[in-house]
Amino acid sequence: MLQRVQSTNETRSERNYQVAKWACFVISLLLIAFAYVDVGTISIGSNNYNLSLIRLNKAIAYTIAILGLQVVIGYTGQIALGQSFFFGTGAYISAWLIADHSWPFLLTLLIVVPSCFLLGMVLGLPALRIRGLYLALLTFGLAAVFPSIVKLDKLYSYTGGAGGKLTSNYKFIAPAWLPFDEVAQALQKIPLLGGFFGDGPLSTREESRLWKYILFSLIAGLCFWLVHNLIHSRPGRAMRAIRDNETSAATSGVNLAITKTLSFGVASALGGVGGAIYVAEVGIASPDDFSSLVAIYLIVGLVVGGVGTLPGAVVGGLIYALVPDWASSTQSISFVPERWLQGPTGSLILGILLIVLTLFLPGGVVAGWRRLKSKMIAKQ
Amino acid sequence: MTTPLLRVEDLKARYGPVQVLHGIEFNVFKKEIVVVLGANGAGKTTTLRSISGMVETSGLIEFDGQPTKKLNPSEIVRRGVAHVPQGRGTFPELTVEENLKVGAFIRTDKDIKTDIEACYSSYPVLYERKAQTAGSLSGGEQQMLAVSRALMSRPQLLLMDEPSLGLAPQIVEDLFTRFVTMNQDHGTTMLIVEQNAQLALDIASRAYVLESGEVTIEGRAEELVNDDAIRKAYLGT
Amino acid sequence: MDLLLQRIFDAITNGSTYALIAVAMVLIFKATTLINFAQGEQAMLGAFAVLQLWNWGIPMWWAVIIGMLFSAALAAGLERAFIRKFDPTDHLPLVIITLGLFLVINAIAAIIWRFDPQSFPQLFPSGNAFTYNNVRLSWYSIFAFGSCVLVLLIFQTLLTKTKVGLAFRAVSSNLESSRLSGINIGPTLQFGWALAAAAGTLGASIYAANPVLQIEPSMMLRALIFSVTAAALGGLDSLWGALIGGLTIGFVQSVVVQYIPFIPNEMSLSAAVVVLLIVLTLRPSGVLGTRTVERV
Repeated sequence: MLQRVQSTNETRSERNYQVAKWACFVISLLLIAFAYVDVGTISIGSNNYNLSLIRLNKAIAYTIAILGLQVVIGYTGQIALGQSFFFGTGAYISAWLIADHSWPFLLTLLIVVPSCFLLGMVLGLPALRIRGLYLALLTFGLAAVFPSIVKLDKLYSYTGGAGGKLTSNYKFIAPAWLPFDEVAQALQKIPLLGGFFGDGPLSTREESRLWKYILFSLIAGLCFWLVHNLIHSRPGRAMRAIRDNETSAATSGVNLAITKTLSFGVASALGGVGGAIYVAEVGIASPDDFSSLVAIYLIVGLVVGGVGTLPGAVVGGLIYALVPDWASSTQSISFVPERWLQGPTGSLILGILLIVLTLFLPGGVVAGWRRLKSKMIAKQ
Repeated sequence: MTTPLLRVEDLKARYGPVQVLHGIEFNVFKKEIVVVLGANGAGKTTTLRSISGMVETSGLIEFDGQPTKKLNPSEIVRRGVAHVPQGRGTFPELTVEENLKVGAFIRTDKDIKTDIEACYSSYPVLYERKAQTAGSLSGGEQQMLAVSRALMSRPQLLLMDEPSLGLAPQIVEDLFTRFVTMNQDHGTTMLIVEQNAQLALDIASRAYVLESGEVTIEGRAEELVNDDAIRKAYLGT
Repeated sequence: MDLLLQRIFDAITNGSTYALIAVAMVLIFKATTLINFAQGEQAMLGAFAVLQLWNWGIPMWWAVIIGMLFSAALAAGLERAFIRKFDPTDHLPLVIITLGLFLVINAIAAIIWRFDPQSFPQLFPSGNAFTYNNVRLSWYSIFAFGSCVLVLLIFQTLLTKTKVGLAFRAVSSNLESSRLSGINIGPTLQFGWALAAAAGTLGASIYAANPVLQIEPSMMLRALIFSVTAAALGGLDSLWGALIGGLTIGFVQSVVVQYIPFIPNEMSLSAAVVVLLIVLTLRPSGVLGTRTVERV
């Protein structure tokens, strides 16, 4: 009896800890937003690095797409490399609805999610026969053809061809009831740190950016919550069983076909949501933003964050959004020849990260962090 | 007593979390045929794989007076241990002749051709099929080829893992007769893992019985054939 | 009719290049069941090495041979450093490593040689060997195809007549028995990687030497997809299958796309992926490959 009382106490304190953790997380997300809504750059040496909300919003888009890869690769063990295909599909569907039919952004998700889900399931059907490396090959091919499909003349009226589809007709206007100005001014009054949060009331553009950031974060949060629940539900357990051993999963009653197609569908839907957010941020869907290179970068995000860990997707999204961008912003470092800074340095760094992490830290940053933490606790 | 060709002491091996061998001990002397009997999962295959350096082990394995602990499989083959693995130890996509050449891979001497000829003269059927792929041979022929392939490295010790598996009784009998001939003519030392205890005990000089990773019975083959426990467990009479 | 003939000749030209890269992929797949996504980039880097050597004044064909040796050595090093430590049956880390190599090699080439297309030395005599009405067969096509067949013959000889070639085939056929026969697996697979890279470099050099093309760091991105499809058509485990697969894909690219009106020209890549999809779904062991029974 005593034992039981203790254990409930423990769960309660555990729960309090979790709530506090999440509250801190949400508050720091908001603080970052207010701090960077106007500044946007940090300088190191003679180089300026962009940390504006534009980057963070892109990171959110990539994070959701990588979350999809976590489902299909991380939890179901299917080597599907073509996430850029669904990222692009979601982007173009959303762009088309916004530009040609004047839909509001959120409403387009109602079309993007089911259509990408279905498309993923249909394209996943061959995967029931194709396994392992063959699947990797085929999905990579899928990623490679996406730009040429949207450039097709026949689809010009939907996709805008090589020039892309502009969505700048749609503006994100922050609802009036949100106390952005009040919060900003309150933050500015904090002694010492107030300077980080800019000066005076927010402009409409800043408000709109903040609103987008908050909206996208909410969508991402929803996606994480849904995936978390999926992973710990019955189908999620079936997925992990397939990852660990397909044959024994099948013999213990897991329906391979349904589970696999479900995981493809979920992954693709998440890819589509990511793409829709990407377009909402960038304001244009253009073919080369969805090339096979993007597919590989998303894999980099998956691996760097950690295959099979949900927080890894956030790390991966940030890496993808920031590393190539910052690498190209780096114009001069002493002792490094300029030539090496002008080329595709970001791609080089991401490739090296991919190899080094796979060789030395297979669980990615998240696993590394957990290991470090448990070591510190052990030392104490 | 002379020093054994193969000396195994306190051999332990595990696959992941499962310990398969719990410190077994046995010897094989030169020119002997030794049989290891045991049920499925007793650790017979693991024992052979340990000797060939294919699994991580602890304990002592001494071949020809030298410990083989730090050697990789390739080096162990070079020391004179050949191994016919369970199932078909052949290369199905390669021709019969190429299979034999792969068997002689570690050799650099000039006699490889002569040995191949010798093998053909003892197994004419292999000569007839020398240009066919090994995969096209019958089960018995493949097993013959696998054994010949192993012999091509001119081993001092031949390890065989269930040579009778999946073969018709008549073919098994023929195969085992050949093992005896090989042993008598060339003095090849053999360590055979078998389920077919009757036949194996017929040709062996000594035998060990392995039960869940431990040697439970050892002795001369004639004695074991007449042992009641053995008869019940492995000979079915 | 003339146009058809012309298209077939075009098919041979492209097909030969795809076949060479496909052969490279087949060599590695055969031995390790690994698909090397960096194969095209390794070939591109090799072709740039050839160009660099040629710019330094080394005679053209010597440059090609040295370039092939360079990429073979590089591939052997890559295999040793990044591939060997992984369990070959665990595909995901290996796919990720080769994708990483893809990014790194592509970036390094772009950093050293920039993204601007450059012209590549003419490896073969220019002009047409044969002209009839409007049908032209260029010397380039003949030599590209000839080089491809020559390379396959050389490889076949290497694989059947040399000891290391025999070991390589033994490893491809039965890994366990190879180890038990005293074959050192690592160096044998390294040999496969080196051979594959050499073939790839020749393929990329021939591709870049096409009078209508130039060399640039991203030139193999498309070619990789065509080559992979070619390899898959050939069953991923047969050298001559890769040649036939390459020619078939060349044919699909130039003929099918030309003659089926509702498939526009820029769809050739998509057509290749569709072929890949069909092959992998209906005959996962390829049209020409050996069927294997998967044991579980």
